[in-house]
Amino acid sequence: MNAAEELKALLPGSVISIGLQLNKPMAVIKKEDLVKVAGKAKDLGFDHLSVVTGIDYKDHFEVIYNFFSYSKKQNLALKVNLDHDKPEVDSLTSLWKGADWLERETFDLVGIKFIGHPNLIRILLPDGWNGHPLRKDYDMNTEQFVTIGENGDDVVSPDGTNLLRRK
Amino acid sequence: MALIYSGGNNVESDELFINMGPVHPSTHGVLRFKLRMDGESIKECTPVIGYLHRGTEKLGEMKTYLQFIPYTDRLDYISAFPNNYAFVKAVEELAGIEVPLRAEYIRVMTMELNRIVNHLVGIGSLLMDLGAATMIMWGFRERENALQLFEMLCGARMTFNYIKPGGVREDMPEGFIPKLNEFLKDMEKRIDDYEQLINGNEIFHMRMKNIGVISGKDAVNYGWTGPTLRGSGVDYDLRKYEPYSIYPDLDFKVCVRKEGDSFARFIVRMDEMKESLHILRQVVDNMPESKVISSAEYGIAPMTGTPSSVSTYFPRIFAPPPGEVYSRIEAPKGELGFYVVSDGTTKPYRVKIRSPSFCNLTAIPSLVKGLKIPDLIAAFGTIDVVLGDVDR
Amino acid sequence: MEKGGFRVDPVTIDTTKIKITKKQPVTALDKLNDTGLISTVLAAREREGMILFSTIDQVFNWARLSSLWPVTSGLACCAIEMMAVAMAHHDIARFGMEIFRASPRQADLMFVAGTVTKRMAPRVKQLYEMMPDPKWVIAVGGCASTGGPYHESYSVLKGVDLIIPVDVYVPGCPPRPEAWIYAVIQLREKIKNQGYGAKWGLNK
Repeated sequence: MNAAEELKALLPGSVISIGLQLNKPMAVIKKEDLVKVAGKAKDLGFDHLSVVTGIDYKDHFEVIYNFFSYSKKQNLALKVNLDHDKPEVDSLTSLWKGADWLERETFDLVGIKFIGHPNLIRILLPDGWNGHPLRKDYDMNTEQFVTIGENGDDVVSPDGTNLLRRK
Repeated sequence: MALIYSGGNNVESDELFINMGPVHPSTHGVLRFKLRMDGESIKECTPVIGYLHRGTEKLGEMKTYLQFIPYTDRLDYISAFPNNYAFVKAVEELAGIEVPLRAEYIRVMTMELNRIVNHLVGIGSLLMDLGAATMIMWGFRERENALQLFEMLCGARMTFNYIKPGGVREDMPEGFIPKLNEFLKDMEKRIDDYEQLINGNEIFHMRMKNIGVISGKDAVNYGWTGPTLRGSGVDYDLRKYEPYSIYPDLDFKVCVRKEGDSFARFIVRMDEMKESLHILRQVVDNMPESKVISSAEYGIAPMTGTPSSVSTYFPRIFAPPPGEVYSRIEAPKGELGFYVVSDGTTKPYRVKIRSPSFCNLTAIPSLVKGLKIPDLIAAFGTIDVVLGDVDR
Repeated sequence: MEKGGFRVDPVTIDTTKIKITKKQPVTALDKLNDTGLISTVLAAREREGMILFSTIDQVFNWARLSSLWPVTSGLACCAIEMMAVAMAHHDIARFGMEIFRASPRQADLMFVAGTVTKRMAPRVKQLYEMMPDPKWVIAVGGCASTGGPYHESYSVLKGVDLIIPVDVYVPGCPPRPEAWIYAVIQLREKIKNQGYGAKWGLNK
């Protein structure tokens, strides 16, 4: 019995369906029970959180967590479906400290809010950047430039005349 | 607040904010640390990244699968073959492609050579930051020999674009194996030289032992992988325990140390170089002769087309079936993973890169509390971070 | 009465009778005389070979091009090639660039090696403005010249010459060390031809 089936047996209310992510067991779960299911997975021995992926399908968002167990040498993937207008999900930083930066990056590039994250600000792009680049409706035609403001912070604006040598 | 004792009176002083800016000779690239210091010791350290963010993941949605492979070279630019291979492995799993045996042997050979080059550069830069400039000179001298081998193979020194879905781009040239054997013999003697120079050095011991200690459980919780994790006692290597390619047939040890400090991580890297030499000798001895090394069905044209294979000379359209896959390999810096989502067209729908340097960097704030700035540099150097990997 | 007390005699010179005999230059001083530089040859004849004559521009340009000190501003993959060029196999110290200065106040050459992203651009510009005159910039690699392979990205500056003036562009991704050394030689040629001496044709 692989790990996804175990989870379904232990928490039948939270797990919506079980499938395969090519050859790894995957479980689609309800977004409200994410912390509960992830905590149960950690108890089952899945102690390594590998990656947090956010994907923008045009009518909904998906967040996929990939776990691995050092003791049992097994893989597990959890998938959560989110609304397109309000993509919010609970944060896993209470269980895994490594989820901190992975979730910040997903917020920065895809725009998914993680409730309960201690410090959810942009990490790869400067603070005032407009838009989330990995969404499918991001505007690639307007260029945004960065200059240094008064107290050393970055100031982002589409007008780059302080910085550029010629128009 | 620091208390300065002067003649019996306690004088309180304020905290000091220091910025180790993006342009700094000791941070390996454009990385910025915001430090809050109490006298000379660090109270809090915040890394600020994003100064090299080039938008590789967005470009993955705008280019085809074959056009994206050069972008994967530029992620961890010191060792580019494993990056190529991680992406190609994900695509091959998605499309169900079989790879001929000789191509697998060549791939493993290039990846292990790259592991040696990476550790040389990593150890060299670490020692240059500590003040010993000999090791980086020696490291780059060996690296030149390896780069000449790569140039014979695929024409480029650093960014190769050599591994394609279905095999490799072209076969090894005539004089490659003798030159590789010479390199292996040479490298063995040199590693003994390095060990003699560095391992017993007292100053090195004082600067590296008990600096940046982290326990195995904490390291796993932070998501550490690779030689940094093996320096803390967790015995895990993707090549051994979730093997891919021809690693099940090869015989090598996993190098683990228990202490968890910077010195242990350094020794793990030195041992890994020796294990890589051992693997390379096995690969060279058992290299099979198989006829086709790059499969022309999947869109790769053979570089030297014979008249009979003119019909397969032009590349066809390469579009794997819809699906998603997450595949990971053991890169020299840790676990490198690609999450590829395909929707049946020639361009990927989403490419997500799980890079080892990004995940290894999250633990720096807790690693250096209470240390001085030179200790921060020593601990940070053993984690072996490359900014192209962090910022993508 | 003549003006001012001087006597002015009209003199006619018959120019057809003047023959200009040009001596072939034999010694180095004769050759120097031929170049048309303003020089005092009298004193030189006494101590032949121990005095050097030249223009100020030639001397200053020679001093500047022989000891260019670069500043470490390697950003991405091209920085690794910069380290390889500075090491023993392809040695850039033979051009006088022995040490890479850590502080831009002490340097006069900036290798912009690597991709310049929008977030890093104001810092690169500040680094350039901190360098004292005279200063030169070499844009190394495709990314620094025009944006390179990342031209269509949303966060990459399309070439560093949008923010600072560039003297030499080196194509390649990354450029080979031999191409790097060729770029340094081109910059030295450019520095040799700078200044008023070159403009007026005095630097031969």
